[in-house]
Formats: sequence, C-alpha cells, structure tokens
Amino acid sequence: MADTKKVVLKGRKVIGGVAEGEALVSKMPLMGWGNVNVKGGFTVERNHPLYEVPFKGKVLVFTEPRGSGGFVGYGRTRQFGVNPTAFLYRKGNNLTVFAAMNMKVPTVTDFDQDPTAVIETGDYVRVDGDNGIVEVLKRK
Amino acid sequence: MFLTDEEKGILDGKQGNVAQKCMQFLIAYGDAAGAERLVDLNGTVDLHPGQFWVPDYVITPEEIQTLADKGEKFKVPTFANKATNPGFIFDGWEGCGTLPNSDPEYHKKCMEPFTPWIRMGMVPTFSCDSYLVSSVWPAVGTHSAWVESSAVPWANAILGSRSNFDGCFQTAYLGKAPAYDMHLNENRVATVLVECACELRTDMDYDLFGWAVGEACGLEVPALVGIGKPTTGQIVKMNSSLNTGGQVRMYHIPGVTPEAPTVEDAFKGSKYKKKITITRNDLKRVYELMTYATDDHVDFVYLGCPHYNIEELQKVARLLDGKKCKTPVWVMTNPLTFRAAEMMGLQDTIQRAGGNLLSGACCGLLMGEMPPSAVMATDAAKQDYYITGIVYPKKLQVWYGTTEDCIEAALTGKWRGEWR
Repeated sequence: MADTKKVVLKGRKVIGGVAEGEALVSKMPLMGWGNVNVKGGFTVERNHPLYEVPFKGKVLVFTEPRGSGGFVGYGRTRQFGVNPTAFLYRKGNNLTVFAAMNMKVPTVTDFDQDPTAVIETGDYVRVDGDNGIVEVLKRK
Repeated sequence: MFLTDEEKGILDGKQGNVAQKCMQFLIAYGDAAGAERLVDLNGTVDLHPGQFWVPDYVITPEEIQTLADKGEKFKVPTFANKATNPGFIFDGWEGCGTLPNSDPEYHKKCMEPFTPWIRMGMVPTFSCDSYLVSSVWPAVGTHSAWVESSAVPWANAILGSRSNFDGCFQTAYLGKAPAYDMHLNENRVATVLVECACELRTDMDYDLFGWAVGEACGLEVPALVGIGKPTTGQIVKMNSSLNTGGQVRMYHIPGVTPEAPTVEDAFKGSKYKKKITITRNDLKRVYELMTYATDDHVDFVYLGCPHYNIEELQKVARLLDGKKCKTPVWVMTNPLTFRAAEMMGLQDTIQRAGGNLLSGACCGLLMGEMPPSAVMATDAAKQDYYITGIVYPKKLQVWYGTTEDCIEAALTGKWRGEWR
C-alpha cells in the first residue's frame, strides 16, 4: 500500500489476543455509568465529541477514564454485541482494567507514545495484545 | 504476579472453593493491572453489595449463604455502599410516589439477598458516603479497598489510607488486593500544583472547583493550595466532583491532609509537572456546563448527591420549615443519618412542607426513576452531569445551583438561580 504509512506503538498488555480494525479516537476522556449506553454501544455524555457515535467493531482509542465505577459499562457492551474490537488508552486505573476484563478484547495501555496523538479516527490498526504492540496504518 | 505460600495455598483450594475463586479473580485482575503482588488489607472495605466487577468471577448467592451459615466473616471491617444491582431506596420509599420503589414487595425483594452479607459482617450503611457514618476509619498508612467517586479520595487524601477503586466481595473476603497504583507510595506523590486564585465561599463553589481541577488533572495527583477551610460537606462535594469531572483519587491539601504537612512534602522534594491556577472564571465555566436547561418551570428537585450529612439536612429543614413545596422534592441521605433526622424531627419538617426524605439511593442509581419531569433541578454536579445520560433517549433539562436556589425552585416551581 503505497499511500499508507506505518507507525508502531509499544505498550503494556492488559488483555491478550490479536485484533484489527478501524480506529475511533477520543481525545476527551471517556466517562461511564449513565454516560455509556451499554445496549447501543456509544457514549451519551452530553458535550462529548463522540456522542451517539457507535464503537462496535472499532479499535477504541482514548486518553483516560473519568468518573464513576460504572466505567465498567464499556466492558458490558459485550453482552449486547456492541463492544469495540480492541481497547487502547493512554493512561488508566482499575476502572479501565475492569472494563477490559469484561470486554475481553485485546487491550493495551502505558504506551511509549500518546496513542491519541498518533492514531486518528479512520486509521487501520492491528493490535497484538499479548506483546503490547500496536501497528497503525495511517490513511493518506 | 508473585504469590506467598499462603496465597498459593488459597489458589490451590486449601481454604475452600470460594476462597479459591476469589483468589483467581484477584490474580486475573492484578495481572491485567500490572501488579507485582497482593497486599494484605489492614484498613477497611467499602463495596457495592451484590455487585461483582467481572461477572465471570461471580460468587453466587448460594455460595455466600453457605459461608454465612458456616459463620465465616469478612477479613476487615466492611461497609455497604449503595446497592446497585438493582438500586433501591432504603428509607422513606413508602411515600416516594414512584414505581417500583413505592411497592413494599419490591423493597423486600431487594433487601433479602443482603442478609448473608450482613451476617458475614458487612455493616448495612448502604450509602455512597458510608464513610461519614461508618464509626471506624482506616488509620493513616493502612491498605483499604473502597468504591465510589467521593469515597475513594476520602480514603486516600483525607484519611491517608491506600485504596484503589476496587472494594468488592473478593477483596473483603480474602482481605487482599493487588498492590499497585494508590497502594504504592511513589504514586501518591503530588504531580500538579493547583492554586486557587479565588475565594471559595459556598458549598457550590467547592463542587465547581472540584470539577475544574478534575478536568485539568485527570489521573494526576494535585496539591491544592488556597482553598480555605472547607466544611465536611464541602470536602465531600469537592471529592465527588474531582472524581467525576476527572479521575482524581488522591490529592494533598498541604497543612491539612495527613501525607503533606507542607507543599514540599506533597511533592516529596520533586518539581511539579504542571501548575494550574483556578479562577472565578473557571468556576463560572463549569457552572455553565452544569446548566442544561432553558425552561424556568421546574417540576422536580433532587438534593443529596453525595448523600446529605446531618448539617445539610438541618439546612434543608430550616429552609422548608412552615412552607409548602409546589414541586416534588427528594432529599436523599444515608440510612444512619436518616435515623438521626427522624429523631430530630427533620423528617417531619421536610414532609410537612411536601418534601420526601429518603435514604440509600439516588435518581441516577435508580436508572432515572423520579417523579414525572421534563425539567429537574439539583445542587450536585455529579448527579447533574450523569442524569441526562441515564434517562437517554428521554430528554431531560437540568438546572444547577446552590441548595438555596433548589429549595426556592421547589417552593415556587420556578428556577431563579443565576451565577453570582
């Protein structure tokens, strides 16, 4: 693919496995509990740039979690078949870990570069959760 | 993850099947979190009774019943946060006027599963601020496992105990948690210096300040200077907003909180990564973010996020005394403070004015159960910012202001609050 550029990020495995797909990137933290619609698979946080934007099948890339323990709702989207295909975040805590354990998709964090600065929505991303390696095929 | 011989024994089933399952959860969780070992809890646990963080590792009601029958206990003092699965009103539900909570059968059905938890030693505090009434606190330097936005910073910053957001059956039963993040000293050092350049006067100011700092700090550990002398209620509000507008689970107030006698101690001699100044304009910006309404007709007022303490209930009773509300008003507290309010006649005063004193839940926790309304008013940024998502796809307008603004709206049916 002559018109693509590949970038590789190295991070820490949270959940293993391999997955790939199109990126959906949030530069604003994600908030759970009532502000993640578990059945629809999107945020319903008012003012959020990704309001009602489905993350089903996407590689969901975001900065940080914020707010309630109900952040785990991101993981529970799996019960409704609307979960992301991989979960990548710059910095997390046990809320992102619990969400990932519920989501059961390749999950990587603590990267050598800020993933929300490198990856743009629409980039094609391959995630090797076991080795914490993320390959980004940049559009253009 | 490194395991001691005792922990390996638990994993091998030497302390029974339930202990083994609890250990399997802690190991899976610790591995995913990057923890190198477990830590023995010597503080307290605050948990959402009936809730399991990861359903793959659920301990069934039958298993918990069996443990209770055998006389087994939680390893450390354990307190009930709100029940979440489902949430329900603990006191005052008889008059709340909404379903399913005003149905006595519903209340009974919700309470039943917790009998074995209580027999195992869980204190039936059933509140997001159970720490205000728990009668014991973990000592400085102990390891705990708590939950809830306002509670986790209370454990870490105010009490100096070490807690992630991971209270649950497993941590309470084994008395262990993965040793990472807030359990490790190096992660508790301040990284951001926050200077408050305006005077924080009202409870609302602390709520707004917490949100502004949370947004700016995310997962960082701020040292807060220039914030005056907050009351208990103001700290609770600030904590709730710090951990909703952001993910601040630990901070220092030099000279006030136990791990930082001075600013230098807060940073352990290192230079701050970032310095932030919060001005009155920042508070105004958050106030505007919380004002999510245009219709000045108010049809429901919600107070008590986090659950009101006794001083806040006295204030509400004073404002309502001898008056009559035009709109439904719910005033939420924790079950033990509810009992004090009953004895003090505050419940009577609130009820005579047409309000409802309730305990143990909130509209958000009840998945939006509230008197029929298109426009609500509240004095809590946390409840304000979540409730519109919780009632989705229903549209709900939300006014935000001081407790006084909200009470005036309850009495007149009109919103008159404004930025002052």
